[in-house]
Amino acid sequence: MSDIAVRVENLGKCYQIGQAKSGDFRQSFGSWMDKLRGRGGEQIAESKEFWALKDVSFEIKKGEAVGIIGRNGAGKSTLLKILSRITEPTKGRFEINGRVSSLLEVGTGFHPELSGRENIFLNGTILGMKRREIKAKFDEIVAFSGVEKFIDTPVKHYSSGMKVRLAFSVAAHLEPEILIIDEVLAVGDAEFQKKCLGKMDEVSKSGGRTVLFVSHNMAAVEGLCARGILLGEGRVSKIGSSIEVITSYLSVNENYEANLSKRVSTGSKRVIFTQMQVLNEEVEFKIVEGCFQVPFYSNIKFILQLKKIEAGGILYFAITLRDISGVKIVTFDNLYSNTGIHMNDRGNVQVVECFCEKLPLNPGNYTVDLWCSDGYETFHNIENACSLEIVANNFYSTGKMHTREKHGFLNIINTWKAANTEH
Amino acid sequence: MHKTVVDADKRKLSLNLRELFNYRDLFLILAYRDLRVRYAQTFLGFLWAFLQPAATLLIFTVVFGKAVKVDTGGVPYPLFAITGMTAWSYFAFVLNQSGNSIIGAQEMVKKIYFPRLVIPLSKAVVGFVDFAIGFLFLAVLMVIYKFVPGPNIVYLPVFILLTIISALAVGVWLSALTIRYRDFQHVVPFLVQFGLYATPTAYPAETIINNLPDWAVIIYYLNPMAGVVEGFRWSILGGAAPSEFAYVSFALIGILFVSALFYFRKVERVMADIV
Repeated sequence: MSDIAVRVENLGKCYQIGQAKSGDFRQSFGSWMDKLRGRGGEQIAESKEFWALKDVSFEIKKGEAVGIIGRNGAGKSTLLKILSRITEPTKGRFEINGRVSSLLEVGTGFHPELSGRENIFLNGTILGMKRREIKAKFDEIVAFSGVEKFIDTPVKHYSSGMKVRLAFSVAAHLEPEILIIDEVLAVGDAEFQKKCLGKMDEVSKSGGRTVLFVSHNMAAVEGLCARGILLGEGRVSKIGSSIEVITSYLSVNENYEANLSKRVSTGSKRVIFTQMQVLNEEVEFKIVEGCFQVPFYSNIKFILQLKKIEAGGILYFAITLRDISGVKIVTFDNLYSNTGIHMNDRGNVQVVECFCEKLPLNPGNYTVDLWCSDGYETFHNIENACSLEIVANNFYSTGKMHTREKHGFLNIINTWKAANTEH
Repeated sequence: MHKTVVDADKRKLSLNLRELFNYRDLFLILAYRDLRVRYAQTFLGFLWAFLQPAATLLIFTVVFGKAVKVDTGGVPYPLFAITGMTAWSYFAFVLNQSGNSIIGAQEMVKKIYFPRLVIPLSKAVVGFVDFAIGFLFLAVLMVIYKFVPGPNIVYLPVFILLTIISALAVGVWLSALTIRYRDFQHVVPFLVQFGLYATPTAYPAETIINNLPDWAVIIYYLNPMAGVVEGFRWSILGGAAPSEFAYVSFALIGILFVSALFYFRKVERVMADIV
C-alpha cells in the first residue's frame, strides 16, 4: 500500500465561454440541424475555450496538510470541485486513497423550516456521514456549536451566527481520511473561527488525516499546513513549504495589475483608486516582480491616484501594512486625526500623497491595503494593492542587520550608554 | 481501503447502483425533509393530504358518475374512480416534483458530491405517502360498498411496482432534461394535465378501444400510465383483463426506465457545470 493520499496527473478543466450554459431547444435543435447538414465546424469555432485548470500535477502524502493558495480565478475552486467529484475533469486523472469529505461551504442543504436537530442529521448525511455515526456524535456536535437551548427550534429563527456555528460543528465532526476544505473559515465570528482552526489543527495533527485547505487567510494556511501549492492562471506555479509558497504568492504578485480599479476589491466605488506609486522622496522604488524594493529605514511616499465617480467633499484614507500572514503591522490614516482632504472636482482625477519619514520596518515582505471613505461609507477597499519588500542595507555600517524573524517587525532607533557611577 | 480514481480519458458508462445503495440514508432523509416541510406553517397541516384526493373524487363522481354516467361495468363509480386516481396521482406527483428537483437542489449539487439520482429518487419516496392515502380511500370505499376483491388482487403488487417504475422513468428523464432545457419546466404541468385525459382514470379503457381506430389506440397506449392504470384497476376490481394494447405501455415503461438511467448518468457528469 502506498503512502500517497492524493495523486493528481495533468489535470485540466475546460469551460466553453460565450455559449449558453443550459440552452433552449431551438439552439440545440439548430446546432443539431447544422451538424446534419455538415456545418458543425462553424459552431465550434464560435464558442471559445477557457482552461480554468491546465496540466496540474502533484502528490499529497498521507497525514499531510496542504494549503492551496492563489488569486481569484487561479483555479483553486475548480481544482477542489474536481477533487471532490462535483465536476469532472476535461483532461488528466487523479486518484484518492481513502474516504473523502469535502466542505466547499458549511451548512449545505440546511433547511430553514427544520429544527437544529433535524438539520444536523440532514447536513451530516449530505456530508456523507451515516445515520448511526451522527447519532453517536450528536451530543458532541450540539455542545461544540453552543446552541443547545435552541436545538428544537426551526433554523429560520436562528441568527446567522448560530446557523454557521451549528453548520460548522457538524462539519468539524466528520471523520474522513481526507478532508477537502474551501474558505469555509471566512464565516463566523473571530472566536468561533479560532475554535474551528484549533479543531482542524487537531484533526490534521493528532488524527493523522490528510487535509487540503484553500484559503485567503495566509495566517491560517501558515499555521495549519506544512506544505503549500500556489496556483496561477490554472497552473501550478509553486509547490513547497507553506512559508515559501506564501512568500512567493505575496511578493510575486502574479499578473501584477498596476491598474487598481481593475483589482478585486470592496466598497461602494463612489470614489476609486486607480493607480499607486511608492516613492523614495521623488524617485520610484525599483519594482521586482511587482514588489517595491524599499531599503530599510527609507523615507517613503505613497502616491495614490483617485477617480471620483460621484461623491465629493472630504475624503479619508488609510494605508495598512501587513506581514505575510496577514497580521496588521501599522496603519497610516487621516481619519483619526480629523485631517480629511477636501476634494471638489467631480469626475476628475485627483492625487493624494502620504509621506512617512524613516519607515522603521525590519527586512521582510509586507503587503499594502488601501482604504478610502467619507468617514461613513467605505468607497474603495483594496487588499494587497501592492507589496513591499523591505530590503536589508548596511544601516549600522557593521554588516549586521535585524531580521523580522529574529527581532520583530519594528526597529526603533535607540541609544545606549553606561549608567553606572564612576569611582 | 476506499479508493477513488477519476480519469478523463477512461470514462465508463456504468450505472453504479452499489454506490447509490450506499447513499440510501441520504435519499431517506431528503424524502423526510420534503415531507416535514410540505405542510409546515399551514393551518390544516397534514389534513391537506386527505382533502385534495377527496375533492377530486367528489368532482369525478358528480361529473363522470352522475352527469355523464360513464359505464363502469356495474362497479360503483367512486370505487371505479379511486382505483384510477390513486395510480395516476402518484405518477403525476412524481412527475411534478422530480422535473424541477435538480434545479431546486442546485445549491447542493454545486457544493458536494453524491449520486445525483438520489434527488429524483427521493421524490418518488415522498409520493408514497399520497399513494398510501389513496389506498386508504380505496379501502374505506370498499367497506362502504361492501366490495370484495377477486383473485386478481395477487397481481396488485406488480401494478404498484409498474406505477412506481413508470413514474420514475418519466421523472428521471424529465429531471435530466430540465437541467439542459428549461423548456421542460413548462412541459411538465402540461403533460400532467394532458395525461389525466389520456389515461383511463375517469372512464374505462374500453371506451377508447371500442371507439377509436387501432392506430389511435396504439398512440393512446404510448402513454405509459394508460396500460398501468388499466391493469391496476383490473387487479382490484376485476372485469375484463387488460387489452393486448396495454403491452405497448409496459414495453415502453421498460425502455423509458433503462434509457432514463443511462441518460441521467450522462448528464450527471456535467450537471454541476450547467445547472
